[in-house]
Amino acid sequence: MIKNDLGRKIMFVLLALLIIVTAIIIIVRRIDLKEEEGPRVVREVPGEIRTVTLFFANSNADGLLSETRDITSEGGLENEVKQVIAALLAGPEDKKGVSAIPVGTEINRVFRVEDKETVYLDFNRALVSNHTGGSAGEYYTIKMILKTIEVNFPQVAKVQFIVAGYPVNTIAGHYKVDTPLSVRKWR
Amino acid sequence: MDNKNISNRYKMLFAGILVVAAVFLAVHPCRAQIIAKENEEVKTLGVVFADGRKTEDISLFKIESDSDELFISAYDLARIFKATKYWKPGRKRLVVKIAAKKYIFTLDTRVVMIENQPVLLRMPVRYSDGFVMIPLEFIRDILAKSRVEKVDFDEKRLVLTIGAPSYNVTGIIFDESIEGTRAVLTLTDELLYHVDNEIPGLLRLKIYGGKLNTLKISATEGKGLFKRVRAEQTEYDSYLFFEVEQSASSFRVEFMGPADEDSGGRKLVIFLEKGELPEIPDADFAGRKMVEILQASAGEYRKIEVKRIIIDPGHGGPDYGRISESGVEEKQVNLEISEMLKRMLIERLGVEVVLTRRTDKLVPLDQRGEIANVQNGDIFISIHCNGWFKPEAGGFETFFLAPARNEEESHQAAHENSSIRFENPGLDPEKLDELNFILWDMVQNEFINESSKLAELIQKSLDDRVSIRNRGVRQAGFRVLRGLKMPAVLVEVAFLSNPREEKLLLDNRFRKKVCEGIVEAVRRFREKDMIVEGR
Repeated sequence: MIKNDLGRKIMFVLLALLIIVTAIIIIVRRIDLKEEEGPRVVREVPGEIRTVTLFFANSNADGLLSETRDITSEGGLENEVKQVIAALLAGPEDKKGVSAIPVGTEINRVFRVEDKETVYLDFNRALVSNHTGGSAGEYYTIKMILKTIEVNFPQVAKVQFIVAGYPVNTIAGHYKVDTPLSVRKWR
Repeated sequence: MDNKNISNRYKMLFAGILVVAAVFLAVHPCRAQIIAKENEEVKTLGVVFADGRKTEDISLFKIESDSDELFISAYDLARIFKATKYWKPGRKRLVVKIAAKKYIFTLDTRVVMIENQPVLLRMPVRYSDGFVMIPLEFIRDILAKSRVEKVDFDEKRLVLTIGAPSYNVTGIIFDESIEGTRAVLTLTDELLYHVDNEIPGLLRLKIYGGKLNTLKISATEGKGLFKRVRAEQTEYDSYLFFEVEQSASSFRVEFMGPADEDSGGRKLVIFLEKGELPEIPDADFAGRKMVEILQASAGEYRKIEVKRIIIDPGHGGPDYGRISESGVEEKQVNLEISEMLKRMLIERLGVEVVLTRRTDKLVPLDQRGEIANVQNGDIFISIHCNGWFKPEAGGFETFFLAPARNEEESHQAAHENSSIRFENPGLDPEKLDELNFILWDMVQNEFINESSKLAELIQKSLDDRVSIRNRGVRQAGFRVLRGLKMPAVLVEVAFLSNPREEKLLLDNRFRKKVCEGIVEAVRRFREKDMIVEGR
């Protein structure tokens, strides 16, 4: 009887061990899977994720650098453009990149009128009033936005800059921006 | 007792087996991970984007031990194709949308659903080391052949080109005859160009606004008098460097006929003749009339008369332009340099000079052009200082106006001008005449060759005198240069945002060098014989 009890105890211990080990395995594997998925892998997010390319200037003001971001692909072209511009305004992640968009600039709205190939970008006054000047600075303010639109939205041919509801002649006194600019040909 | 003992032993054995199984299970994922970690990157895929994104190297992996098939992670795949992707966890499915076409992959199977049509891959899609891995054959056999996206896959070199290349300089061929050798460039558009042979044995062709595939052009073998061609691409322009034989005597450059009847492009021909290559007097004429200049006997010549020069000190009044860290205002520096330039031009060249502003006041950009036109200037030079967000950017550059060239843009210009007419009823009635109707953007087009020539001369002349970086000649849509009825350039002297250059800009010796450089460029511009179109 004593031996039997001992056997039962051993078996009970073994079974308990088995349950604990199995539980640990399940938990560990779940954690593993989560870790494996990491930030770079497709995440389980409702809606579609779209990877977009943003363009910033380099520190010498003689070229563009690209970075990628994920946006949610919903709400039509206007919404996607707005998300992309907002991501541009947030600035580069890479230290080599330089944002040529003035501090405090916000995008109020993005819309199209009859001409579906032209996108109107309505910024707040900071785009003009906070601009620190210099033609290189102004050139890349415009170029960063046009290049980003060109690459991510092939259906858009032109961009019209609007500041607080109205078109402006120039952003910082050099480049003509009072009419829509061709995203592919502007310079 | 014995029976019970035996049954207990079985139970213990059974439990033991369970424990072993559990331990095996526990170890198994680790093993899987070890295997996965062995899926080291074996090769890299070079990805070239036609849309201007930087060329990338993407890791490729070998996953299956019994196959050499390479795999690309779904993350990279979606990123390079700018695809939309989402994951259906329950069914282990990954949906990737490339150019409006839906591709559905299921883990550990070889089936890809393309717009609900199943296609079999040779290898299954795997989940490994944290990534969904897709066999490269998906790109090679499905994407590259479907023509949904313009994809070119070079399997030998492992180079993937994505997107429609927007090249406007599309090809080059050489052909030889008794008289010499021709290099024929195919262009989609009649672009502005500039040729020089400042370095003996080397012809440099700059194509403004050119975009070309440097590899393709540079890989073309020379023939006859052309030993070799090398192409370079900058953000704005293309350069072609031709190494020529000593026996070449002269060259001419001209546009000839349509490149291709369907596409309607243009052929730019560089013709090299045999004999000694003469010293061509600064053959830095920009534009398509090169031919007449070199054929000395043909064509009409006239000296460009430069009697009155308009200098435009940038910004002014409430428009400060750039303000440096230490508070130096661009408008003031522009005005001071302009005044020094004025004195020097009058003293050394004996010309008349008009400033668009002489004090610290705001003159609207359109009004500056009007002043220049009303004053009948022969040259317009706008003086500016540059500015950037980081202190490291520096150098000088000279701009001329990017022309409105295509029909669409000239329509737009016409539309704009009609509104200008209504806004300005007091305008000279002659200007309102439909026949004389001025397309403001097109006006400067007429002077584009001279403007680019003046810009090149200024840039070269400054390069000889100052030690800061030469940022080159560029075309841009400066508002102040629009509508000018004379050759017009804008000089960005140096960067106020660069501490070293800020000091230089405040230093009279530097300013003097800059002004001397511009005066010298104007002198050389004036001395040139050139044929001027439409005047």
